[in-house]
Amino acid sequence: MTEEQGQTPTRRPYAGPPVGGRDQPASLADILERILDKGIIIAGDIRVNLLDIELLTIKLRLLIVSVDKAAEMGIDWWRHDPMLSVRERGMEEENRALKERIAELEGGGDEDGTDDSSATDEKSEQTSGRGASSK
Amino acid sequence: MVERDPDVESAAATVTDEPSGTGRYMYAVCRGLDAHALDGVEGLGGAPLATVQHDELTAVVSTVMLSEFGEQPLRRHLEDLAWLEPVVSKHDEVVRAISVSAPTAPLRLATICFDDDAVGARLREWYLPLMQALDRVDGRAEWSVKVVVSPRSEGSTDPEKPVLSGADYLRRKKEAAQGRVASESAAQELARSIHEDLSRRAVASRELPAQDARLSGRPGTMVLNAAYLVPDEAAEPFAARIAEIAAGNPELLVDGRGPWPPYSFAMLEQR
Repeated sequence: MTEEQGQTPTRRPYAGPPVGGRDQPASLADILERILDKGIIIAGDIRVNLLDIELLTIKLRLLIVSVDKAAEMGIDWWRHDPMLSVRERGMEEENRALKERIAELEGGGDEDGTDDSSATDEKSEQTSGRGASSK
Repeated sequence: MVERDPDVESAAATVTDEPSGTGRYMYAVCRGLDAHALDGVEGLGGAPLATVQHDELTAVVSTVMLSEFGEQPLRRHLEDLAWLEPVVSKHDEVVRAISVSAPTAPLRLATICFDDDAVGARLREWYLPLMQALDRVDGRAEWSVKVVVSPRSEGSTDPEKPVLSGADYLRRKKEAAQGRVASESAAQELARSIHEDLSRRAVASRELPAQDARLSGRPGTMVLNAAYLVPDEAAEPFAARIAEIAAGNPELLVDGRGPWPPYSFAMLEQR
């Protein structure tokens, strides 16, 4: 399927080499953040529960933005996911413990809030909504 | 597990005939698709790709089992990354194949209709906004640029030196962390100027959330994750500019990819 490059007259060299000569495809994260969040949204006949989709997106967003932050919030679904199983899980735990310790030593950690709190709200809202609808 | 609820007949009408049938999964809508553009490309589960036409618009679809892609199964599957990954990759593969030969508006993951008539109805209903979306991306492609600061401050603590005590260890970690913060804020600034530079060379740009190192597979802190819509004729200079930026900033990992289908730029106007 890769030999289509150069054979068919293409308008655009999508299969062309990326900048820097590496020929790596987009990563799963790259594609996920695009096709879950972006692109054309038309409601099909199968009404995918948007609450759930958004729940997933929020999870992914949390993962993409900050694993540590999500873990603090008790959202740790990816830890059980073999695909995302953490090679350096031990190190991560250690890092977090150390960061907390450093924050203490520096006299009070000022964790940046960013928009995590709103994500939490949305999540809990949707979790409860979902709990009510299923079963 | 068929839900039968007389109270919500109309709303649940789609749910009741779901479990055993098939649906048409829509990958993208495009204009003027070459008849052979999809040769050798399969859809989800190895199903053949097909097209549904309405005027100038073409939707690319394939058949999926509703036992897998129905509402209830989807709800479960979408939370399961092991299921999601191959579906996402296939969706992307098909969209790419389409966008090589035609202006393409990728659809969001899991847009499913019961049959081709329903797909055609969507094309009719959304005709104008779809045409406008295709106009916006015609002759243009998406480029992804990520800038990552490598965790070089890790090297500032001498690994040869034995750790004398717990306090010593923590002090070193603290120093490393402070160094990291300083270099990160400088990198943020640099990332901003890179983004402005590239935005000027694109017809549109969009910033995406920075990816965690574990997802991106790159150690370090991502300070820029952006998408640019670049006209085809400007693609080469754009790529050259990315390479220049990378060469001029050896302390940064500048990762430019493209051209990609215009995922981040094919949107319907809200209405």
